[in-house]
Amino acid sequence: MDDKRSELKKIIMDTKTLPTLPGVISKLNSLSDNDKASVQEMAKIVSSDQVLSARILRLANSPSYGFYRVSTISNAMILLGVNVVKSLALSSSIFAIMEKDSVGLWEHSLGVGVAANLLARRLKLPECEEIATAGLLHDIGKVIVSLKCSEAEIEILRLVRERQIYIQEAEREVIDTDHSEVGGWLAKSWFLPDKLSEPIAFHHDVAKSINHRIKTSVVHIADVLIKASGFGNSGDGYVQKIQQVAWDTLKLNERALSDVVEEIEDKLVEVKNFSLEMIGS
Amino acid sequence: MQKIPLMLAKAGMVLARDVFRGDSPTGMPVCGKDTVLTEALITRLDNMDVQSVNVQGHPVWEEGELSYEDLLRELDHRFEKTMQEPLNAILYDIHKAHLIKSMEGEGGRQTE
Repeated sequence: MDDKRSELKKIIMDTKTLPTLPGVISKLNSLSDNDKASVQEMAKIVSSDQVLSARILRLANSPSYGFYRVSTISNAMILLGVNVVKSLALSSSIFAIMEKDSVGLWEHSLGVGVAANLLARRLKLPECEEIATAGLLHDIGKVIVSLKCSEAEIEILRLVRERQIYIQEAEREVIDTDHSEVGGWLAKSWFLPDKLSEPIAFHHDVAKSINHRIKTSVVHIADVLIKASGFGNSGDGYVQKIQQVAWDTLKLNERALSDVVEEIEDKLVEVKNFSLEMIGS
Repeated sequence: MQKIPLMLAKAGMVLARDVFRGDSPTGMPVCGKDTVLTEALITRLDNMDVQSVNVQGHPVWEEGELSYEDLLRELDHRFEKTMQEPLNAILYDIHKAHLIKSMEGEGGRQTE
């Protein structure tokens, strides 16, 4: 069992075996580490990839971020921040695979992105866009499991169906790890900032998040809310327990939760249309 | 409350939310909530590029749309494992209330 886990970890930490990370991202990474690089220079790099630019603009104007109207990459970078565009580039390449193979997971992720954004706004938290990105990426581990151990994935989904358990329980049984841990490894190997990697790695165990517990809590609650809505498909159909530590960290109450649910349900109609468009394009 | 395309709007339906011009969704409302729709009004909204309206109740049934009972059964199934958790019970009640409202009640104060 342990072999399986370390093997999977090795595969993921060795980025070369991951076909989905475009060269644009590494160029962006090296530029954004350089203080002298201008937003225009970075925008130019992104613009050199037409498909990627189109996807970034679609995502930047999606209901997850849809509070702006963004028409150029450099505007997207200024409005959303370089880090957000970087993670958008990242997620769009990952989701390119997801859209085709697992529409349900794509819709679930998009939904959690929207819910995380609405929740963060309602709670007047800083960096709402980053929180939305973390929401969008929170289940990225599932994509990797599906890509790298497709046989195990079939077994995992069979266990979920037969024993009616949560997907992370089935994952631990079959591959001795779960999608949040795998997502955390991936985030590390891609040098994503902590504010993205922590919510990805700990959205099922908020107490383990040390530096970004607020963001992790938002993503956890958003995940629960989308599962409660029955929107998309994340592998199992069961609403997880709302973790008390997340509830307390965000100082949530019934009123705020009810308002956010209302907003989310409203927005999900748009998300559904957007996701259909995205798949059709 | 139900959001329907303007094409399916009929005289007699009651607006559950303010209606805005299609080209300026954040501008001034052109028709207030609680207004009873008439044929003339629907034509005027159409001229203003309005695509959809929110109306009270659930007047339009699409093919394949689930009934209240079906939706409630699905909701119960999703909460099967965590219903006994106090925080989840709160969330369940919110969703159930929302479901009831979307089927019969009128819309919230929010504008569309």
